[in-house]
Amino acid sequence: MTKNEIYPKMSEAIVSGDRAAARALAEEAVRSGLDLLEVVEQGYVPGIQKVGELWEQGEYFLPELITSAEAMKAAMAVLDPELKLKALGSRLGGKVVIGTVEGDIHDIGKNLVASMLQAGGFEVFDLGADVKLERFIDKAEDVGAGLICLSALLTTTMMNQRRFMGLLHEKGLRDKYKVLVGGAPASRKWAEEIGADGYAENAVAAVKLAKSLAGR
Amino acid sequence: MTHPLLELAKTRTVLFDGALGTELMARGLGPGVPPELWNADRPDAVREVHAAYFEAGADVVSTNSFGATPLKLAAHGLEARAFELNRASARLAREAAPAGRFVAGSMGPTGRFLQPQGPATVVELTAAYAEQARALADGGVDILIVETQYDLREALAALRGAKSVTSLPVFVTLTFNSFPRGCFTIMGDPAGRAAGELEQAGADAVGANCTLTTDRMAGCIRSMRAATALPLIAQANAGQPEAGADGKVGYAQTVEEYVRPVPEILEAGAVFVGGCCGTNPDTIRALARIIRR
Repeated sequence: MTKNEIYPKMSEAIVSGDRAAARALAEEAVRSGLDLLEVVEQGYVPGIQKVGELWEQGEYFLPELITSAEAMKAAMAVLDPELKLKALGSRLGGKVVIGTVEGDIHDIGKNLVASMLQAGGFEVFDLGADVKLERFIDKAEDVGAGLICLSALLTTTMMNQRRFMGLLHEKGLRDKYKVLVGGAPASRKWAEEIGADGYAENAVAAVKLAKSLAGR
Repeated sequence: MTHPLLELAKTRTVLFDGALGTELMARGLGPGVPPELWNADRPDAVREVHAAYFEAGADVVSTNSFGATPLKLAAHGLEARAFELNRASARLAREAAPAGRFVAGSMGPTGRFLQPQGPATVVELTAAYAEQARALADGGVDILIVETQYDLREALAALRGAKSVTSLPVFVTLTFNSFPRGCFTIMGDPAGRAAGELEQAGADAVGANCTLTTDRMAGCIRSMRAATALPLIAQANAGQPEAGADGKVGYAQTVEEYVRPVPEILEAGAVFVGGCCGTNPDTIRALARIIRR
């Protein structure tokens, strides 16, 4: 298959959430010696973008979003090792540390954002839920992440997003990281007020924002 | 089914209460503490909130058991206390209820995703809701209300679980987002279809709560009205939560903004109305004035 034939098929595999097709097409791209960065950016990413649009329009819902993200993961599982071999992985996205802040055990939204970020080409370090604020920093320092994402579903635990910003300042690391906040009670206004770098309304918007902050 | 609450709804609009968790927080419930624990530890505070809603004019209050399925309590290591905490929630509301008023046993989502999105099975969820329903019935609730469901499959499991252990009426509300082409749960269940399927499965009333503000609620209720003859419930949010500069959390809408679209919701067909996130006894007092006008 030529690029013009295979790229639309890749996109379609993501939009329809066809994991087997997404994986098979990725394997074919590797075998045919295609430029794998281009494969990701022109084959798969347009698919996940289309899924995002369908979600925002209320055509796609959580089940479709999850199956599409899984198809994307299946393709990336084939492409990632190859890209790493060629030392191209780092050009794709960046490293993201994500988790739900301490005191809060809600992780559905956070998991979705983590999957979509991964599908969007980021290397994601998911710390889970009820994560001590210090751990976000330790992990980010450890892996060399550029972005830290904090989720909070409760009006009480969202205060930990504010505390986290204070902690970053105290440690003199504020300028080293971009910080995104999310979760039901968070808002753009809240992000501005606590001095975070951004807020996203949903998983799709989070990926867009992460990309723009990562300069992509 | 003939039941005093359903009979009352044939004669006039019936008023539910407003938010419970934020009222408990105002009385000192700390972050990370499941509100249901206060049914054992701070029963006076729970009774006081119920009493405030009855005093504001609520015909029905919902028990402090929204997160008390054994599956949800397991997140706090409290699953072994599910029966005790649910029964206590029913008793506290009962004690606060003046004669002729009603207590609804609240059953919120388990927080588990069903297969294939998650690991949970319908059998497992049905059993969890059945256990909760049994305890709430034992504690003396008048009806059960399965609330804030975002997956029709889970709502149906809750309904069937409840019906398997009690003959009390079971009300069911789902939470919807509003799109140009209609109201859908995050799983993609349209409001009309949800109402129809719940009716077929034996629900005694159905409706929408949470997420939507009052100005978006009427559309959702109209979709349900077109699909079912059951009594309809509408419990809207008062805007979205926002944290102020002082760190205190407030909701965007004023009481006046909240109640303004309510006549349209009643016209759309809701016979049970009440509040959800961001509402308080003042909201319910204002609602009482409108529906009894």
